[in-house]
Amino acid sequence: MKDDLKLVKDTETNLPGCINRRQFLFYSAGAVSTLALSSVFGASSALAAEALFAEYPSKKLASLSDLNQDQPIDFLYPNDDPTYAQCVLVKLGEKAGGGVGPDQDIVAFSSLCTHMGGLLGRSYKEEHKVLGPCPSHLTTFDLTRHGMVVAGHAVESLPQIVLEMKGNDIYATGVAGLIFGGAKNPGM
Amino acid sequence: MSKKHIDSVPLPPKDAEVLTTCCDYCIVACGYKIYRWPVGKKGGIKAGQNAFGRDLPIELDKGGWVSPNMHNVVSHEGKPHHVIVAPDTDTEVVNKGGNHSIRGGAIAQKCYSPDKPTKDRLQHPLLRVNGKLQPISWDDATTIFAETSKYVIEKFGVHAWATKMFSYQFFENTYALTKLALRSIGTPAFAWHDNPTVAPATPGFRDVGIDNFSASYDDWYLADTLVIAGTDPFETKTIIWSEYIMKAITEHQQKVIFINPRKTTGVAFAEEHGGLHLQLNPGTDTILHLAIARTILENGWEDSEWIKKYTNNKWETDSGFGQGTRNTDWQWRTTWGKFQTKGFDDYKKWILSQKESDLKYAAETCGLDAEDIEWAAELMAKPRADGSRPKTSFGIEKGSYWSNNYTNTASYASLGLVCGSGNRPGQMISRFGGHQRGGIKGGSYPMGKSPEKFGGRRRKPLDLDRWVQAGKVRFAYVVGTTWTAGMCGSGELAEVFRNQTTRNPNQLTSSNVDDVIETFKKRIDSGGMVLANQEIYLRKGMGTELADLVLPAATWGECDFARANGERRIRLYSKFYDAPGEAQPDWWIAAQIAKKMGFSGYDWKESNDVFEEAARFTRGSRKNYQPLVKMAKKQGKKGHELLREYGTTGIQGPIRLEDGKLVGTKRLHDSTLKLPTTGPERETVWQKWLTKFKSQSGKANFMKSPWSIFGDFYDHIKPKDDELWILNGRINEIWQSCFDDVERRPFITDRFPENFIELHPEDAERLGVESGDYVTVESDRVPVQKSGFYGRDTDDLMFTNLLKDGHIKFVSAKVKAVAMVMEVPKAGTTFMYFLNTDNPANALTPRVPDPISDNYRFKLGVGKVKKVGESPYKNSFKQMTFKSRAIV
Repeated sequence: MKDDLKLVKDTETNLPGCINRRQFLFYSAGAVSTLALSSVFGASSALAAEALFAEYPSKKLASLSDLNQDQPIDFLYPNDDPTYAQCVLVKLGEKAGGGVGPDQDIVAFSSLCTHMGGLLGRSYKEEHKVLGPCPSHLTTFDLTRHGMVVAGHAVESLPQIVLEMKGNDIYATGVAGLIFGGAKNPGM
Repeated sequence: MSKKHIDSVPLPPKDAEVLTTCCDYCIVACGYKIYRWPVGKKGGIKAGQNAFGRDLPIELDKGGWVSPNMHNVVSHEGKPHHVIVAPDTDTEVVNKGGNHSIRGGAIAQKCYSPDKPTKDRLQHPLLRVNGKLQPISWDDATTIFAETSKYVIEKFGVHAWATKMFSYQFFENTYALTKLALRSIGTPAFAWHDNPTVAPATPGFRDVGIDNFSASYDDWYLADTLVIAGTDPFETKTIIWSEYIMKAITEHQQKVIFINPRKTTGVAFAEEHGGLHLQLNPGTDTILHLAIARTILENGWEDSEWIKKYTNNKWETDSGFGQGTRNTDWQWRTTWGKFQTKGFDDYKKWILSQKESDLKYAAETCGLDAEDIEWAAELMAKPRADGSRPKTSFGIEKGSYWSNNYTNTASYASLGLVCGSGNRPGQMISRFGGHQRGGIKGGSYPMGKSPEKFGGRRRKPLDLDRWVQAGKVRFAYVVGTTWTAGMCGSGELAEVFRNQTTRNPNQLTSSNVDDVIETFKKRIDSGGMVLANQEIYLRKGMGTELADLVLPAATWGECDFARANGERRIRLYSKFYDAPGEAQPDWWIAAQIAKKMGFSGYDWKESNDVFEEAARFTRGSRKNYQPLVKMAKKQGKKGHELLREYGTTGIQGPIRLEDGKLVGTKRLHDSTLKLPTTGPERETVWQKWLTKFKSQSGKANFMKSPWSIFGDFYDHIKPKDDELWILNGRINEIWQSCFDDVERRPFITDRFPENFIELHPEDAERLGVESGDYVTVESDRVPVQKSGFYGRDTDDLMFTNLLKDGHIKFVSAKVKAVAMVMEVPKAGTTFMYFLNTDNPANALTPRVPDPISDNYRFKLGVGKVKKVGESPYKNSFKQMTFKSRAIV
């Protein structure tokens, strides 16, 4: 039974694990090497995850000069679905998990509350660097800590959009987590 | 800690099996559906391709999205199956449309899985030999249990054989366990998980004539003004908040008055919407209730007509009182002279004569503005210009009744009566609830055997913690509770247990059954104790350290069970996967032990047998489901099967039979309820309290609540010098006392990797503490009542006299926590999670129960906070967040 379940986990349940490069980016203080990942998931599934990760498109969101601190910018990712791909990019003015830019304070998240899909795009609180409380049921997410639930009802952190800098340009390159609404992320 | 981001979830194929259950956690008990299908198959995103019958992605702002935490892979009939455990989107009750909390929404992660954090579920009976737990057979485990128990009972009497158990974990289990302890054995050494005895939670309600689960959830919505004492439902009764209270605030401008030293999200939201936060000093609730009542009375805002019709006058008050043996707590409290009144006029006269009800005095003592107290009175009771009255409901929970039990509950319920509440839609007085209501007593508590007495002929159930401390317990059966960490002064209590178990020289060196029993007999004869712990995990303290025998229990999802929620809604909780290893449901374990001890009446084959037998013991109670079992028999079905047909809707107890159909009861004491004029039909048990109050006359009693009952203790305990109040309680993310969520769900573990302490910014600045710092919280004056079971005079068990007579000792306690600085607790107060097994806030709480009701004052911890360094979370982005819990 134990072996059966383990097999399921590796081959079916968690396959699109997409933790490798993202985790490297998120937890840059303690970098996770491909080797370490292989020892956790087995070489083949690490490769599979790598392949899946590569499926997320790279999309230019803005240049550094476009951003003003605490002024969120809306964008669509990973595809152009006007409902489910709604995301928000914000320069927090303080260092954040997964933050990019010279101050590591630029982050992006899905705008859909992972509780029941309330729209969080207009709920940014400058004083607290959070999205929320969600207008529907008041869940709040900490943007400095990978979208962790501060208070409320969501059973997943707010999916963080993986960002990378190319020169002065900010690119979205992946999604950490499942965006509200579907069984896979939009367009994936 | 590694963190996995899963960005997909498997979908159930169209032919997946669908079962119903309810969430296992808070009182609300939301309805859930289980979708189960064998590994290897999968469904698609079109409505016709999946068992949900829905297209994906689903609509925004609607229930029905399945997140990765709602999925798991389990063993069903020995084969791996996918399961999705998701809120029922079709339900029209409780979590209407599929709403959920952060706890229930992830309940699929509760299921045992060999390579998930649930992998350490207990799977085999264990025996501690040479200091280490090793597996033994069920046969040996139950033989050792039974033989040791028989020896204790024969040699030392039933008083030396104790049970400490959950009061809530399903009808079938509580019935079987209490049948063994209370009926077959008949021991008075018995206590529920949440107090040292079998104390009623809200005895003041009981004396007023109110059943503490009389309201329906709709009443919380229907009220114009809702008073919430000692809880924020946003945190601990989420769906009552989201589906009833928050909707009432936004849809019909309900005004919510919170009486609570702590401000969390629900409180902040209510304040933003015309409500009021009475952020009082801990423990001063009675004074506030009196001052509000007095303000109402002085303005003539009371509901005079209603009071005349539904409350006892002088003659009615006397009817039925003063009779009988006065051997029940209810009888002696209402005939004692300290609490009962001769009706409304007498109550009014008493209140006006109390210095505590004076507005200025109350404002100062409670730490509130006098205007806010007056405003509260206005919102609760001031008639509108057209003469109509606001509909006001009163809800209470532990923040209030576990700081000062008797007078808080008596004064609160009496305040409700002043406002005309207690017996009509939107105007109710009730508990919100903590755990779900899964208790059925399979035997009566043997009050006559209890050695504990208040002065006069006033017998009380036994305080089991004090009994253990006195060395009177030789065998303890601990089921589903971390006894030491869960009770007050927990560090010292753990020492008491260690001295009687692991430090006794008679320890096992062999697992040979005869040797084991011989060694246990020697330990028992030498004054020691043998401890059996029945659990789903090996819990710190009770399991890891103290238990001689560990019995693995099967739980939610692993056996068919039934239970009621906070509006008495009874539902079937379906079995949907295999219990791990040899784990067995508690009723089965109790039955094996009982049979080996020679008791009859335990030949149950399945949980339905217990459910049907227990039905008879619910007759006359708010959970009466006897009519359902009889109806099932008539239809040739099992009781469980008929209940299953009611799905997540269930049926509200007490269940009645009308025109040959089963009918639920929406609320108790319901003056609007029309019962058949022809009288009760067949199995229906007619109780006066269906339509009237729960008193002899059917009318409610105004009760006095003299501060002197509590004042001496309060003056002694309250913070001195640089001490702070160390309050404690549950929080939204960690509901189930650390065994499911914070220990076994990575997203919750990351949120709260250690116990925390909320500090007000003013206190933090003075102490030089920042968010993320490690602090110690300590006290060298935690009072413990170590003796004093019997009072000769009525004042003997009051704190001043307990102290004078040497029944109180003071112990030291110290716990560690991560500081969270935020304007959530009131300045001068702090808040910790109560039952972290490494650093229990209960270590600092006074183990001196309310002498009137034997409830602990769990919420009145006091201690000094000192910075000891920085935690790793202070500068980490992975774990903990220090943002305020009151952002709106």
